[in-house]
Amino acid sequence: MKNRTSSHFFILAGIVIVTAIAHYSIYYGALIRGYETSTVTAGRNLLLLGLLSVLPIFLKRFAKFKGNWTLYTSAVLLFSIGLTIQYRLFSDPEYTSRKDKAEARQEKIKTLQLHYIQESYSAEKKQMMGLPATPPSPVDLSTESPRPADQTISDVLLSGNTVNPLLGFAGLIVAFLFMRRDDFLDLLQKHGFLIVLLTLVPLIIAAITSRAGKALGNMTPWEPAKIPFLIGFAAILAILYKNLARTYWGLPRAKDVLPLLVMAMLPFVPFFVLKDFGQMMVFSAVYVTLYVIAVRRFSQRFVLIGSVVLLIGVLVVGALPDKTQEEIPLLPMLARPVRTVLPNRIQQRFHLWLDGFNPPTPDTQWWKSDYDDYYKKLIEKDPGLPQMLEENPELQKTINVDAWFDILAFQPAQATFGIASGGTTGRGLGLGYPELIPVADSDYIFAALAEELGLFGGLLLTLALIVFVSAGVRTALDSRDMFSKLCSIGLAAFIGFQALVNIGGITRALPMTGITLPFVSHGGFSLITSFVMLGMLMAFSHRNAVDRENSEIENLP
Amino acid sequence: MLSLLLQIDWQKWRPENLFGGQVLERTPAGLTIVYIIAIGIIVGLLIVSFLDNFRRPKFPFEIGLPREVTRKLTKTITNRSLRAWQFVFVALALTVFGFQVYWTYFADEQNEQFQALSYKDLRTRRTTAASLRGWMFDRTGKLENALAYYKLDQNKNIVRAYSLETEMAHLLGTERGTPGLERTLFKREADPMPEAWETLTKIRHLEHEQRDVRLTIDHDLQSFLARQLQGKKGAIVVLNPQNGDVLAMYSNPSFSLDEAQDLDDYLKLEGNKRDKPLLNRATREFYVPGSTFKTFTTISAFRSGKQNSIFASYPGGYVPYRGSRPIVDATQKLLPDGSVVGACDGGCQEKNIVEAYKVSSNQYFAQLAIDLGRERLRDTAGVLGIAAVDSPDDALLQRFFPSIWNTSNPSIAAALAPQQSAIVTGKDISLYDLGLEGMGQGYAGQMTPFQMALIASVPGNMEGKLMKPRIEADQPPEPFAQVLSPQQAAALRDIMSTVTEEPGGTGTVISAKLSGTGIRAGGKTGTAEKQALLYDDKTGKLKTIKKKRKNDKGELVEYDAPLMYERTDSWFISIAPLERPTLSIAVVVEGGGFGATTAAPIAANIILKARDLGLLVDQYKPKTVSTQAKTPDKPKKRR
Repeated sequence: MKNRTSSHFFILAGIVIVTAIAHYSIYYGALIRGYETSTVTAGRNLLLLGLLSVLPIFLKRFAKFKGNWTLYTSAVLLFSIGLTIQYRLFSDPEYTSRKDKAEARQEKIKTLQLHYIQESYSAEKKQMMGLPATPPSPVDLSTESPRPADQTISDVLLSGNTVNPLLGFAGLIVAFLFMRRDDFLDLLQKHGFLIVLLTLVPLIIAAITSRAGKALGNMTPWEPAKIPFLIGFAAILAILYKNLARTYWGLPRAKDVLPLLVMAMLPFVPFFVLKDFGQMMVFSAVYVTLYVIAVRRFSQRFVLIGSVVLLIGVLVVGALPDKTQEEIPLLPMLARPVRTVLPNRIQQRFHLWLDGFNPPTPDTQWWKSDYDDYYKKLIEKDPGLPQMLEENPELQKTINVDAWFDILAFQPAQATFGIASGGTTGRGLGLGYPELIPVADSDYIFAALAEELGLFGGLLLTLALIVFVSAGVRTALDSRDMFSKLCSIGLAAFIGFQALVNIGGITRALPMTGITLPFVSHGGFSLITSFVMLGMLMAFSHRNAVDRENSEIENLP
Repeated sequence: MLSLLLQIDWQKWRPENLFGGQVLERTPAGLTIVYIIAIGIIVGLLIVSFLDNFRRPKFPFEIGLPREVTRKLTKTITNRSLRAWQFVFVALALTVFGFQVYWTYFADEQNEQFQALSYKDLRTRRTTAASLRGWMFDRTGKLENALAYYKLDQNKNIVRAYSLETEMAHLLGTERGTPGLERTLFKREADPMPEAWETLTKIRHLEHEQRDVRLTIDHDLQSFLARQLQGKKGAIVVLNPQNGDVLAMYSNPSFSLDEAQDLDDYLKLEGNKRDKPLLNRATREFYVPGSTFKTFTTISAFRSGKQNSIFASYPGGYVPYRGSRPIVDATQKLLPDGSVVGACDGGCQEKNIVEAYKVSSNQYFAQLAIDLGRERLRDTAGVLGIAAVDSPDDALLQRFFPSIWNTSNPSIAAALAPQQSAIVTGKDISLYDLGLEGMGQGYAGQMTPFQMALIASVPGNMEGKLMKPRIEADQPPEPFAQVLSPQQAAALRDIMSTVTEEPGGTGTVISAKLSGTGIRAGGKTGTAEKQALLYDDKTGKLKTIKKKRKNDKGELVEYDAPLMYERTDSWFISIAPLERPTLSIAVVVEGGGFGATTAAPIAANIILKARDLGLLVDQYKPKTVSTQAKTPDKPKKRR
C-alpha cells in the first residue's frame, strides 16, 4: 500500500464507522443495565473523529503535506479507542455521580434482577411478588424506561472533553505549520539553551503550588514542558556531539559535558520535589535515548547507561519487600540508607508494585498514619474494638488487610482483577465492570480497556503504539541533519515511553506512577501536548519528503 | 439502485436481530467482537502501509551505483543506534503486554496471593448481588407454601422474604453468623461473568435455569412445632424414618432473620447468654437423654443377640462391683448414708427386656449395658453416628458431624451439621459408669435431640436401617447403616408400643390422646437432671454467690461463683404409626419435669397434626367433612 492520502482517508473513515459500532454496543449494554447513554456525546465523539478523518484532505490540499501518513493514522486510531473507553465510563451514572453512587448502583442491580424475573419466573410467581403476571418471556428493551442520560447539548459541547481535543487539533496544525519552516527550526536550534530554561518555568510554578503530583485540580501544567525540554536538549546535543568525540586523555572537555549534566539534573530535581515519579521516568528515558543516539564513543555511552542501571538498581533494592530482603545476605544493609532517603510516596508505590497483594505491617512508617486513621474510624463505629483486639490479636491482621485494600491498594487491586476478568476477548463493551476502578478514564484507562476488550484489545493497542513509534523512528532515520533526527526520535520516545510507563504501571511491570496514556487517556494538557507532538513529528516527516524531492530535482541530469 | 436499497429489510440487519435473539448480552458481545476484528484489520492495514515505507526511498543518484555502495549509504552510527533503540522499544512494549497475558491467564492458577485475595474483587460481589437466589418451597411444592421467596418492598425494591421467619430461623441461617440453607443451598457453579466470545458462542437461548429448591420441611407442621414450644425452651425434631426426610425441626427460643440483619440487634442476640436464641438446640446442644437412651441399649442388645436377657432388680439397688455405689430405679431414692428407700420400678422380680423397657427399669438396663460390654456399645454407637470415645475428656471436645446428612452439596451438610453426640466406652470408666450410660445418665449425657430422633428412626424403618436425614426433597434416599434386621426392627417396635399402650407403661398419655383415631404409636419417655446456670428472671443476668478460694499464693480470695440448679429436662421419643412409621419424633423441653407430663403430650399433638396434614399413611386421613373443608385438596397432592 502506497503512502497515498486517499488510502489513509479510507482507513480513517473505517475508524469512524468502527467507533460508531463500539458506541452502539456501549449504548445497548447500558440499556441492559437500565440506563441510557448520551447520544449527544456519542455524536460529539463521531464528529471529532470525522474532523480528524477529513483533516488529511485539507493538509494535503492547502499545506501540501508529503510526509508519512502512518504517523497520523495510528495516532487517530489510539485516540478513537480512547474516546470509546471514555464514552463507556462517562455514561455510567455509577462512575460519574459523586453523591448518589450507591443509588445508581442499586438501580443497576435492580434492573438486572427484574430482567431475570421477567425471563425465568412463572406467571404465578410474578403475581405473588406483586408484578404483572406474565409468563416467562425474553426481555423487550423497547418497552422499558431506562434512566435517561442527563447531559444537554450545551453541557457536552462546552465540556473539557470537547474543548481539549479541539485545542489539540489546532495545536497539531499550528505545530505542523511552524515546524516545517526552515527559518523557524534554525531559530530554535540557535537558542537551544534559552529554550531549556523555558522548561523550568512551568515546572517551578508547579513545584511551588502543587502537592502530590497534581496541580490546579487534575491539570498537569508541566506536560507542555516536554516540548521545550526536547527541542532545547536536541539543539544542545546537535552542537555538542561532535565535540564530545574529541577527547583529551580519554576524557571530553568539561565545557562540553557540563550542559549535559545540567540537562540530566533537570527532570530529576523538580519531579523529586513534586514526587511525580512517572514524569521523571519518562524524561530520563528520553534523555537516555537522545544521549545514546547522539554520542558516538562507546565509553561515553557506557558511563550513562551504567549509571542509569546503577540508579535503578539502588532504587529497587531499597524498595524490595522485607521478606525478599531477609532472604539475601547483605541486602538489608544496602537497603537501609536508601530507604531513609526515598520519599514515602515512592516507597508506597514500590511496595504496591513488587508486593502489592501483601499488606505491609501496620508499624511500617509510610503506612502507619493511613492505618491509624482507618483504625480510628473503625473505633468510632464500634467502641468495643480495642477490647476485641486484646482478646484476639489475629484480628489486627484482618483489619490491616481491609485497610490496605480499602485505601492504598484499592485502585491497583481492582485494576488487576479487572484485567484478569477480561480474558481473551474481554467481557464486551458495556458488559464489564470498569466503573469499579477509580479514575479509570485517565491513569487507569488501560485496565478498563483490558477488562472490556481483553487481551486482543491490549495487543491491538500495543501494536498501534509500536506502529506509531516505528514510524517516528523511520522519520528520524530519513532526517538528514542531527537536530531533526534527535527531535523526531525524542518525540517518538516521549509518546512511546509515556505509554509504556503507564501500561507497565497498570500491569505491574513497573511501579504505578499516575501518568496518562497518550492519545487514549482523558486529559487536558496531556492530550493537547500529544497532538502538538504529533504535529511536530509530521512536520519533520514532511521535511524529509520535501528534501528528497529537492535532491531529485537538483540531481536531474 | 434506490429501489434495491428500499427492498432490503433493514429491520433484519439491526444488531439486536443479528446477534441478540433472546439473550440481551449477545448484542454488545457480538458488536464487541466485530469491533475487535475491525480494529485488528485496521492495525493490519497500518502495519502493511508502514512496511511499505520501511524500505528507504531511493535517491536518484543511487541508480547507477553497485549494491554494496548503496547499502552503506545511510548506515551511519546514528542510524544504527536508532535501529537498536527501535528494537529495544518493541521488546519493552511486548514485555509489558506479556504482563497483561500473565494476569489474564496465569495469575489465577499460579499467584497464591492473588487467589487468596480474590474475595476483595468487587466484581464478584456485584454479580452475586444481581443474581437472585432460588425460592424455597416446602414439601408440597406449592407457591403459597413458599418458605423463602422474593417480594417488592415499599420502595419497589426486590427483597428476600420468609414465610416462617422465626420458625425456621435456625435452618435458614444468618448472613452474619452460622450459615444455613440460605447461604449454602444456592451455590452457583457456572461462571456468571462470561467473556464476549463465550457469550456469543455458548449462550444461544434463554436458559430457564431452575434454581428453586423443594425442601422436605412441611410448612404447617413446622409452624405447629413452634406453637407447641411457645414459652418453653427446648427442641423438637420430626423425621420420616423410611427415607430420612426432615419434616420439621425447631428450637425455641428462636429469633427473626430481620433482627439478625441489623448489627446491633445481632450483637444483642449473640450476647443473650441466658436464652441463647442463636443456638440451634435441636442439633447443637447436648442434653442428658435419660431413659430415652435405653432405646440405644436395646438396639445394642438386639444387635448382639442378647434381647432375651433376664435381669433381676434389687430393693437395695444394683451394685456393679464391690464397693460401688448402687444403681437405683427412678422410683427409688439413694440416701446419703448409702441406704435405698422405695420400691423397684415394676416390682423387684426378674424382668425381660419388654417389661423393663415398658416400666423403664434403670437397674435392668444398667445390667444389660454391663453385660453387653464396651465393645458392643461402641459398635452400636458407630452405626448410629454417635462418637464412642475413650476418655471422659474426649467427650467434651466439640466435633461436628456433617457426613450424617444426605445433601446435594457438602456445604449444606456442613451448615446443618449436628454436634456429634458422644458416649464414653474406654477402659478408664468404671462398670458403674458404664451401667449409668446404659440407662442414659452419666457419660451418656452428650446427646442432641437430633441424634435421639435418629435413634428412634431405626426401629421406625421397616428394614431396620438408619436413613441419612435429608432436607432437599429431590435428593434420593440414602441409608447410613443397616442397624437391625427387619424382624428385629419389628420386634423393637412392639416393645416401644408397650410403653404407650399397656397399663404400667410410662407413656400411656399418648394412646389416651390418640384414642379414636386408630393410630398406634410407640415411644419412650425420659426424665433427666442436668446442672444448669441460674439466671435472674427479671434482669436476665447470671445469679452468683460470693465464695472464697485460695489463690496461687495461698491467700483466701473472694470471687463470684455462678449459682447452679438442677434442671429436670423432659424427653419423649416416638414413632408413629406403628405398622409403617412415617414419623420419628424427638421432643425435649428444658426444665419440663417428667417426660410423660410435658414432652409426651407434645409428641401426641404432633402426631395428630401430622394426621391432619396427611403425613401419615392414607388410612389415617381425617375423614370428617369439617377438616376436609378446612384443608381442601391438601392430602391429595402429598406423596
